Amino acid sequence: MSAAKRVQQWATFARSWHIFDCKWQDPYESANIIKKYLMGLHKPIYHPMNDCGDVVVCINSRDIALRGDEWRKRAYFHHTGYPGGASWTLAWELHNKDPTMIIKKAVYRAMKGNLQRRHTMQRLFIYPGENVPEDVLQNVTNQIRQIRLVPTRLDQIPEEVTKTYPKVMDYPEDYVLK
Amino acid sequence: MAGLVRAGFSFAKTAIFSTGVRSIATSKPLHLKEIRERVEGSTKIIDAVNVPSPRTELLIRAENLPNQVPAASTSEKPPCYMCALGLDVKHTDVLIVSQFVRSDGCMLPRKITGLCRRQQKKMGKLVTMAQKAGLMINLTPDYCKKDPKKRRDYKKFNTYFDERTIFMKRIPKPVDRFKR
Repeated sequence: MSAAKRVQQWATFARSWHIFDCKWQDPYESANIIKKYLMGLHKPIYHPMNDCGDVVVCINSRDIALRGDEWRKRAYFHHTGYPGGASWTLAWELHNKDPTMIIKKAVYRAMKGNLQRRHTMQRLFIYPGENVPEDVLQNVTNQIRQIRLVPTRLDQIPEEVTKTYPKVMDYPEDYVLK
Repeated sequence: MAGLVRAGFSFAKTAIFSTGVRSIATSKPLHLKEIRERVEGSTKIIDAVNVPSPRTELLIRAENLPNQVPAASTSEKPPCYMCALGLDVKHTDVLIVSQFVRSDGCMLPRKITGLCRRQQKKMGKLVTMAQKAGLMINLTPDYCKKDPKKRRDYKKFNTYFDERTIFMKRIPKPVDRFKR
């Protein structure tokens, strides 16, 4: 076996590690992307019976962005099993309690409910901030591209850029500058 | 009839209040007014001074762009400047959206922006979206919580908006494929 083939063989069957930055990303959109890497759907050798899924490390899960008014409209249901044990937690309340829970539940629900799902979830690491343990970070070999652009705040843009940026609107005459 | 009455009124107004002195200009200069206050001795003088607009040099207009094909409009009205430019403005394009607001972050009225009705509505919504997402926190009133992280409850988390919902009568719920 040639050296190139040997590397290809190794790369095909190795469990590689991917990193995903959740900053300003919709968890429900990104769950569909993360799912593919976790299950190994991006590999040509994928088969539900072979264990070819990769590991995904999600960072900055505290800074996820939900669409419109979903923070106060989306509710997470839990039932303790006892009578009257039902509870509904709003997305912002859940995110206050545990900033990793929304992305975890989104990925869990994006996958088909079979016996493999809980084992696949074991390969997902979620961190609320940028502090990732060193032994996790040194395995990472690939970064998953973000879906949405991270927006820039106006106060973070330098003053001269704001001033020299091309304008589309001009004030009419007799406008009192405020 | 209404036009006739208005013309009569304006004629009477000029007849009564005409000062006799009129400034003559061959071109129409763009003036802005700035209110200045100064104190001379015991008197406080407040005057409005005409200043040149800071934006005239940087202004982009569709008719001034090279190789710009004028849009063949069926209606007799020319399109407004934003329609003519045909930009796909998102609420995250804060450098464009912030041109339509006052220093306290309020949308300027249509009289001042000079937009058509549809564009005015669109820009107003984009301003609201950008403010709610906390992208223009330096253009807010003084009492406003500047840092989005210091806001209350659900407001402190990041939110994004979909621009397709601007002209929707009824905003559809996002499809939840995993709902049981």
